[in-house]
Amino acid sequence: MNKTQRFKLYLFFILFLAAVVFAFLFPRLTLPFGFAYIFYLMAKPFTLKLTKGTKKQRIGYAVLLTVGLFFLCFPLFATLYNFDTDFSKFTSQLPELQKMLQDKYFALKVKVFEEYGIRLDIDPVNYLVGKIEVQAAALLGQFPNILSVIFEWMLLVPLFLYFFFMESHKFSRKFLDAIPNQIFEKSYVLFSQFNTKFGEYIIAKFIEATILGTLITLGLMIVGFPYPFVLGFIAGVTNILPYIGPILGVIPAILVALITKDPNVGMVHMLIIYGLANLIDMVLVFPLLVSKIVNLHPIVVVVSIIVGSQLGGIVGMIVIIPFVAFFKLLFKEIYKDLSVNL
Amino acid sequence: MSYEKEMMDKLGRGEPSEDRLDIPTLKYLWDASPLSFMAKESYHEFFKKITFLNSFSDNEVRLFTKFLHRREFMPNETIFKQGDTGYGLYFIFSGSVNIYSNYNSHSEELGDFVIKLETRQYFGEMGLLEEFNRRTATIIAAESSVLLGIFKPDLDRMLEMYPVLGAKFLRETALVMANRMGQLTREITAMKKKLKGLEQKL
Repeated sequence: MNKTQRFKLYLFFILFLAAVVFAFLFPRLTLPFGFAYIFYLMAKPFTLKLTKGTKKQRIGYAVLLTVGLFFLCFPLFATLYNFDTDFSKFTSQLPELQKMLQDKYFALKVKVFEEYGIRLDIDPVNYLVGKIEVQAAALLGQFPNILSVIFEWMLLVPLFLYFFFMESHKFSRKFLDAIPNQIFEKSYVLFSQFNTKFGEYIIAKFIEATILGTLITLGLMIVGFPYPFVLGFIAGVTNILPYIGPILGVIPAILVALITKDPNVGMVHMLIIYGLANLIDMVLVFPLLVSKIVNLHPIVVVVSIIVGSQLGGIVGMIVIIPFVAFFKLLFKEIYKDLSVNL
Repeated sequence: MSYEKEMMDKLGRGEPSEDRLDIPTLKYLWDASPLSFMAKESYHEFFKKITFLNSFSDNEVRLFTKFLHRREFMPNETIFKQGDTGYGLYFIFSGSVNIYSNYNSHSEELGDFVIKLETRQYFGEMGLLEEFNRRTATIIAAESSVLLGIFKPDLDRMLEMYPVLGAKFLRETALVMANRMGQLTREITAMKKKLKGLEQKL
C-alpha cells in the first residue's frame, strides 16, 4: 500500500467517524432519519417490484407511501375507539390497584410482626406510587415538548422516506464510490447484507407482533376477559423484545386479573391463552419468520437487549439485535481472512 | 423545411402544435443509440465489443451497465490478493492488469507472473458464483486502470428486478466457466500424457 492509498484509507475512516459523531450530537435529526431509513428498508422489497420499469417512478413511490400509510394507520384507527375505552377503564382502576396492594402489604407487615417480631418500617407501595406520580408529573410538564417533537417527526419521517425512495440509489452509489479500493468489495457486500437483514428482521418482528397481539386479543375476547384490545396491544409490542417480551406482556393481564372482582374473569383462562399464543409463536411463527434471519445464541440476545436498553431505551432494545447479527457477520469475515493469511 | 422551422411557423400562425415529445422514449433512444458514446464515456459501446455479452440486446446492455461499479486503480495498486474472499467479477474498461500466482502473505511477495490482461478482458467470475470463494491469484494494476465490477448483491438485485437479464448474464458466466474448465481439462490431459511419456522414458 503506497502513501496515497494509505491517505485515502485514513481519510475515509476519519470521515466515517465524523459522521457517527455527528449522528450522536444531533439526535433530533438523526432519529427521524434513522426511522425513515428503517421504514425504507421495510418497504424496499415491495418498491423493487412495484416501481420496476415504470417511467413515472415518483407516482409509484407516492402510491406506495399512501398505501403503506393507509395499511399502517387503518387498523390503528379502527381499534382506536376500543383501545381508548379499554385504556380509560384500565387507568380508572389504578387507584383501586394501589389500595389493594397497600392492604396486602399491610396484612403482610402485621403477619411478619406477629410471627417474627420484626417491624417493617419501609413502605415500598407508597414509595413506588410516589415515584410514578413524580415521573407522571414530569412527563406532563414535558408534554408540549413531546408534542412538538411528534409533529416534527410527522413532517420529517415522510420527507426523509420520500428522499430515500427517490435518491437512495444515487446516495448509496456516491457513498460506495468514496470507499477505498482495498476495502471496497468486503464493505459493499457487508453493507448490502446488513441492509437486507435489518429490513427483513424489522418486517418479521412487526408481523410476529401483529400475529401474537391478534391471537391474544381474540382469545381474551372469547373467554370474556376485560380490556382485550389494550392487553393484546401490549403483548404484541412487548413481544418485539425476544425472551423478556412475553414475560413483560403478561404482567398487565395478571394485574387486571388481581383487581377484577368478577368471578367469570379467570386467571387460569388468561394464562392458558397467553401460554398458547406464545407457544404458537415459539413453535410456528418465530422459526418460520425470524430465526433464519438472526441466528444468535440466547445469552447473546439477552445481553444485547440489556446493552441496547442502556444505549437507546426501547428503540435500542429492538434495533440492537440486527446490529449484533451484523457484527457477528463482520467478525466472522475478519476471522476467515485472518485464518487464511496467518 | 426543418422540423423546428415548421413548428415555429405553426406556432406563429397560432395553429395547435402536434403531440408532445415523449421524453422517456427519446432518452432511451439517445442512450441506446450507437452514437451516444461520443457524447460521454460510454459503457454501452464497450460492452457491445465484449464477446461475453454479445447475446445481449441494446436495451439489456443499457440495463446491465446500471449494476456496475466503476473503480479506478493506480499503477501497481493491488486489486485483490490470492486467498482474499471474492465477491465479484471485473471487466477491464481501460488499462491493463498483471496476474500472479503463489502469493506469499508473510513476505508479501507477489509470486510468479502468469499473464497480462488488457482492455475488454475480465477476471474473477468464480467470486460471483461461488458461495464462499477464495481468490486463486493476485491481480495488480499494470498501469492506471479503470475496472467495472459487478458483485453478488448486484447480481441478486438484477435477478430480482430483471430476472430474464439476470438469467442471461448467469448463463454467459456459466459458459465462460465451462470454457475455462474445458481448457483446464485439456491442459491436464496433455500434462498427464507428457508425464506418462517421461515415466516410460525413465
